[in-house]
Amino acid sequence: MYIPGYYEFVNPGKILSGKYALENISTEFKLFGSSRVMILSDKVLEKLGQVQILSDALISGGVKVVEIYTDIPADSSIEVVNKIAELYRKANADSIVALGGGSVIDTAKGLRMLISQGGTDILKFVGAEVLPYAKHVPFAAVPTTSGTGSEATAVAVIKDNGRKVKMEFISQFLLPDLAVIDERFTTSMPAKVTAMTGLDALTHAIESYSCLQKNPVSQCYARSAIELIKDNLITCIESPNDRKARLAMANGSLLAGSAFSNSMVGIVHAIGHSLGGVCSLPHGLAMAILLPHCMRFNLDKCRDDYTEILKMFVTPEEFVAVPASQRAEKCIEVVTAFAHSAAEKAGLSLKLGDNKINRDDFNEVAQRAINDGALIVNPKAAGLEDVLAILNAAY
Amino acid sequence: MNRLSLFRKINNKFKSLVAKIVMLVLYRAIKVLAREDSRIMNEFLTWKDGLTVALEASPDGTAIYMQKYGDKLKRIKACSNVDIRITFRSVDAAFLVLTGQMGVARAYAEHRFMLNGDICQTMSLVRCIDIAESYLFPRLLTKRILRKVEKKEFSTLRVYRKIFVGV
Ligand SMILES: [Fe+2]
Repeated sequence: MYIPGYYEFVNPGKILSGKYALENISTEFKLFGSSRVMILSDKVLEKLGQVQILSDALISGGVKVVEIYTDIPADSSIEVVNKIAELYRKANADSIVALGGGSVIDTAKGLRMLISQGGTDILKFVGAEVLPYAKHVPFAAVPTTSGTGSEATAVAVIKDNGRKVKMEFISQFLLPDLAVIDERFTTSMPAKVTAMTGLDALTHAIESYSCLQKNPVSQCYARSAIELIKDNLITCIESPNDRKARLAMANGSLLAGSAFSNSMVGIVHAIGHSLGGVCSLPHGLAMAILLPHCMRFNLDKCRDDYTEILKMFVTPEEFVAVPASQRAEKCIEVVTAFAHSAAEKAGLSLKLGDNKINRDDFNEVAQRAINDGALIVNPKAAGLEDVLAILNAAY
Repeated sequence: MNRLSLFRKINNKFKSLVAKIVMLVLYRAIKVLAREDSRIMNEFLTWKDGLTVALEASPDGTAIYMQKYGDKLKRIKACSNVDIRITFRSVDAAFLVLTGQMGVARAYAEHRFMLNGDICQTMSLVRCIDIAESYLFPRLLTKRILRKVEKKEFSTLRVYRKIFVGV
């Protein structure tokens, strides 16, 4: 097993996973000494009645819900965070529960940072890896998609509309105190979203397992994530109401989130971020399309890790049947087949050309990708030409 | 109580000194290569005019500050408000990186330094440092610490001559 010369690992917050997880938030909050909760969510979840389910659970447990904010857009911004902070203070809230996907949870992370540090503008804390510990604001994240893993990461991505850039905040103090997975919220995702977010989680796990910053703990989390995703993603797409499979996928996503929050990701995300920025390709879809091509690119630096990953995907008999020198290649083959099978069942195509991506944009995408921070921990150095070759292969 | 042992004191001083010297050489190398090496030249052109960079090697203040000024790189006085700040977490970490025992990517992965500033421009700076190291350090060493050893466009001797003699 690989052990780096030095590594650091920040554990995720307390995990509450499974039946009636929501009902247990209030006792946890009371232990923190807080009783006035602000809920953050989005309009869709409010309409589906899920915000009500959460609020009922909190109130039944004996805490007060003093404010509910659901006007969070898909790409949350600095302005939204600043505005919510005002409402939070007006309502005299003392804790936060975020219910939603990556955007809602990242918004809540921003809010929590602003409340904790004080002040009215979160922009002050950009690039603040060196943020000191400030006032503790109890914070629970309840994910409704199984992909971003944001409930277990120390990162928040929030848009600065003024400068039209996505700001990345990294600090261990962004980690939610509670990562809450409740099976009531796992079955609402449609097939396409299930496939895309699930393959995003798989990408987190695979990139985390094989990148420069990997360590024994992150690899442990990544391994469990890969096994859970491999066993359950297709079931979730085919039988969306299978709660057991959904709960397992949500756990896979959380573990993958914690893994990559500690080890970072690599070239798949570098190119994926740029495809999102330039061509508005949904993140999970970009991951699914790029993963096999990027694994092929990294192959010569990742033989050992890919061999290990193959072990997670196939039975021991199948594993030994593959000659040792071919196992890394076989791993890429198996992962590719898995991604294609999930995509096909959800009605997605894994070709850039089929997803309204124009080759004319490739130069700009590649230019942005090589300046993306994710590339620094990719096991293999990649230049403009390498990224262009990957994009063309994925077309 | 709260007294540094003599050995550690000397050790810190020595590492700080070496770090300072290597940072100066690295700065001069990038300055020279920004005009001579086509790849660093191209990177350098993408930096915004007036970009300021701080390399801080240790808490005792061993640091170097530079700024892009027109088509040149120049040293500036210590300042707190820079665009990119790379702060090593210990002088020992700075020593590892600056003496070529560890590449920048590895150092990042091992949390050896803290970074404040725009990540895009930092990535460009990192590529420049990687290329500069390909010139400054022997190949036997760079092969071990760099993910990819860039081809040299001219000899290491010429770079060192330009750094120290100026022609
Ligand atoms: Fe992702």
